[in-house]
Amino acid sequence: MTTTTRPVKVKRTFEQTAWLWMRYSAFLLIPLAWGHMILQDVVVGVHNINADYAIQRIANLGWKIYDIFLLGFAFAHGMNGVRQVLRDYIRNPQTFQVVSIILLVVWFVITMMGAIALLAINQPLGG
Amino acid sequence: MQVKLRVFRFDPEKDQKPRYDTFIMNVDPNDRVLDLLEYVKADFDPSLALRRSCAHGVCGSDAMRVNGRNYLACKVLVKNLNADTITVEPLLGLRVIKDLIVDMGPFFENYRSVLPYLINDEPLPADGKERLQTPEQQMRFEETTKCILCAACTTSCPSFWADDRYVGPAAIVNAHRFIFDSRDRGAEKRLNILNEQIGVWRCRTAFNCTEACPRDIHITQAIAEVKKAIITGKVE
Ligand code: HEM
Ligand code: SF4
Ligand code: FES
Repeated sequence: MTTTTRPVKVKRTFEQTAWLWMRYSAFLLIPLAWGHMILQDVVVGVHNINADYAIQRIANLGWKIYDIFLLGFAFAHGMNGVRQVLRDYIRNPQTFQVVSIILLVVWFVITMMGAIALLAINQPLGG
Repeated sequence: MQVKLRVFRFDPEKDQKPRYDTFIMNVDPNDRVLDLLEYVKADFDPSLALRRSCAHGVCGSDAMRVNGRNYLACKVLVKNLNADTITVEPLLGLRVIKDLIVDMGPFFENYRSVLPYLINDEPLPADGKERLQTPEQQMRFEETTKCILCAACTTSCPSFWADDRYVGPAAIVNAHRFIFDSRDRGAEKRLNILNEQIGVWRCRTAFNCTEACPRDIHITQAIAEVKKAIITGKVE
């Protein structure tokens, strides 16, 4: 026997989960954010993005889902990052816990509103 | 060669605010910054306050900021600074007691909080002698045994500047020292402590600690290994 592997019981904490999600969301943002940027800014081109193009894109369920994922994960990543930045200024652990929960609720509400809006728009092409 | 030495001076009992004293001196390029401070004390101003003991990079008492970066004053040579103005200031993030002396209290409190000692209540081996381990098992934590508790790492860390209750790199290095020691049984306790709000998750991988360490410990890597042990529930 050269090295030992010992199991340890470490209970999950909010901070640990938030740290892990910073990594999960960043990992998903690599295809999501880059895909979005390359498609809109390079393939389509910013000057060609107009109402017709937007309607056409949103008519596709696949793009709706892509956009909901992009919104959800980019926003979660950003909010989680803002939470980290705020931690440098909020010294009281209880206050910080409350701020964390408020940010989580704001993220959830805005993401839900975006998702509902995206799914609800079903305008006929050219309409 | 001639250098301009600027030294941070502050006596909270007398001064309203800190000032910088400037000394123009002829020095040997092979002089250490500690030598320059000793010249000041001997020839210009014996009231200059600083900590030092071994003068050979072993005791860890003279960590300070030299031209904006943390060093042991006894381990940095004038010629290696590549500058003719040398500014010496106390470590950041800890209260200044006088001149270059800071209050190490919060630093050692964080150190103590991670239980930096061997924990093992199991009976001794049958021969009643030492608990053995293989050279490989020893090598697992060899790196983090090199720490001399100088605080250069912790006081270079932005998360520690923001809040001195963050345990900081030095405490994590010393927790690592025992967590990965096959003879120790306290890993679970330490990892749970480091999993709290003031623990490892406040590390933002800035690498300042690794750059500051006068013992060249791979601190950011040690912190990552502790994070990994917490997440996987395995000490490997
Ligand atoms: C491919 C895209 C991206 C990747 C791979 C990525 C990766 C990361 C990682 C790994 C961290 C954690 C750093 C640490 O705590 O050690 C981080 C922090 C952060 N990210 Fe991103 N990110 C991406 C895009 C974004 C976007 C689009 C936003 C804005 C909505 C954003 C906002 C932030 C913020 C505010 C932080 C916290 C910074 C801090 O702790 O001071 N990131 N990012
Ligand atoms: S890890 Fe390095 S920089 Fe940090 S206290 Fe120990 S010796 Fe000093
Ligand atoms: S005086 Fe001991 S480390 Fe510098």
